[in-house]
Amino acid sequence: MKTINKIKSIVKAFILDFLFLVYIFGCISFLAYRWIEFRIENKFILIGALVFTFLFFFIGDSLGRKLFFPSRKTIHKWFKSFWGWFMVTGLLITFIVGWNLVEVDFVKFFTKFKNAGGIMSGIFDPNFDILTMSLIALAETIYLALLATIFAIPFAFILSFFAARNLMPKTIIGNTVYIIIRTIATIFRSIEAIIWAIIFCVWVGIGPFAGMLALMIHSIAALTKLYSEQIENIDPGPVEAIKATGASTFQTWIYSVIPQIISPYLAFTIYRWDINVRMATIVGFVGGGGIGLLLYQEQGLLRWHNVGLLIWLIALVIWIMDMVSAKIRAKLTEI
Amino acid sequence: MKNILEIRDLHKVYARGTHALKGINLTVKEGDFLILLGLSGSGKSTLLRCLNKLIDSTSGDITINDEDVVKASGKQLRHIRRHIGMIFQQFNLIKNLSALTNVLTGKLGYVSLGHSLTFKQHHNDIKLALKNLERVGLKDFSYQKIKNLSGGQQQRVAIARALMQNPRLILADEPVASLDPATADSVMKYLGELNKNDNMTVICSLHFLSLARKYGTRVAALKDGKIVFDGKPKDIDEKRFKEIYGEDAEEVEIR
Repeated sequence: MKTINKIKSIVKAFILDFLFLVYIFGCISFLAYRWIEFRIENKFILIGALVFTFLFFFIGDSLGRKLFFPSRKTIHKWFKSFWGWFMVTGLLITFIVGWNLVEVDFVKFFTKFKNAGGIMSGIFDPNFDILTMSLIALAETIYLALLATIFAIPFAFILSFFAARNLMPKTIIGNTVYIIIRTIATIFRSIEAIIWAIIFCVWVGIGPFAGMLALMIHSIAALTKLYSEQIENIDPGPVEAIKATGASTFQTWIYSVIPQIISPYLAFTIYRWDINVRMATIVGFVGGGGIGLLLYQEQGLLRWHNVGLLIWLIALVIWIMDMVSAKIRAKLTEI
Repeated sequence: MKNILEIRDLHKVYARGTHALKGINLTVKEGDFLILLGLSGSGKSTLLRCLNKLIDSTSGDITINDEDVVKASGKQLRHIRRHIGMIFQQFNLIKNLSALTNVLTGKLGYVSLGHSLTFKQHHNDIKLALKNLERVGLKDFSYQKIKNLSGGQQQRVAIARALMQNPRLILADEPVASLDPATADSVMKYLGELNKNDNMTVICSLHFLSLARKYGTRVAALKDGKIVFDGKPKDIDEKRFKEIYGEDAEEVEIR
């Protein structure tokens, strides 16, 4: 048992050292190519890393050994040891590579301000002639967010019961159902609404319906997770008590689970609507309809005064939604 | 009197390895008021929960009213459970529903799903629930939400819920442990009354010996998952007390 653990930690330490050195050599070769157009071949990076790993591993002073396999020989003051200087080199080189990749150029930031003059003047002098049209688009955005939320509720509500650990029986079927629903919800949630919008724009065509579907899918996944976590946090006492009266499983859910979750569910749902209004704007950019689509078109035509008005309207709606949903949620959690 | 409950060699080992009950043998006669004594962790709660199968026991037999509890499942288990009222330390009521609705849930074991969703249309149920609330002195609070009631009132609502089941047996898991002494006594008084007037059998775990002497007709003491004493309340002297609660224990009187 002890030797297995020892071998395990040696392997871990070795792999960590190797990956770390590959990273550092990779960064160096990237910088060499960027600065002096000198190409280092990949095999040399790997071989070099391997050689250095062996070297430092047998010296007994490396990052991996320090973390997984410290011995009496290990030096604990970082500035007196190789592992300490490895860390410093790693951080420094990461920062330099990052600066290069992002093309940081602060001079541009200060000297090219006048390029943004058009959009700035648009913001401070919005064109109110398109107010009616913009409000219609805005309404579209709010309603599509609302419908996406409403359509998501029944799906998420039912799924959440099967995705709650404390309600699913601890049998193979119960566990399988739980894991499948949780996994699918996690995958669907990690795909951004904007990706779903691209899919549905192809599927049902550009317009608010595509945006609604995109938000709905994302909302189902997100609400299933939030709802089921709420179920997992309920007080188990009443569940036990209702079960003890001889109630069936379904009756137990209705009388002990649902009364405990109804107001947090409402709070989450309203919060979700709030998020959906924000997302609906973004989704509009890829063809999901509403004010986002309008904003995309206007900025493409460089009509900065129209863009200015749209920006103000979006900011206003998000600010109001934020405030109202916070107020309602505060009221709901009081109950 | 006939035996309402028989337990033979009951064991419970939890998944994490705790051996909570180590061979319990116990018979309870109809009309008994049995007090379970013992330190926290001695197995009282586990024993009570095995009786209506809220917890599955590991081995042994439990017979209630000549019905085998251990083997029961599904509909049969529901039929056994509905004749056993249960009262908890934390009351376990649904806090954002009214006292009346909470009492009505005591009826769930007897009715269909459709019926249980439309309690408000079934006047007999409402009438019975109100009568049971009146019995515990809470008729005026019927339409109050549970969270607006005091601890003692909540426990009385829980008793009314148990009464709704028309039980032959009441299990009470430290029913007064989170109440002040005066309220505790009044709650115990209701349980005592059900025992005497309605001939309901009560099994009640307690921490206070004074309450055990006042209400119990019989005492069983648990220590480390075994029964170490079974007899009359008055037979517990200082020596017995120290056996149950350990050498350093001092009896605390509450009246």
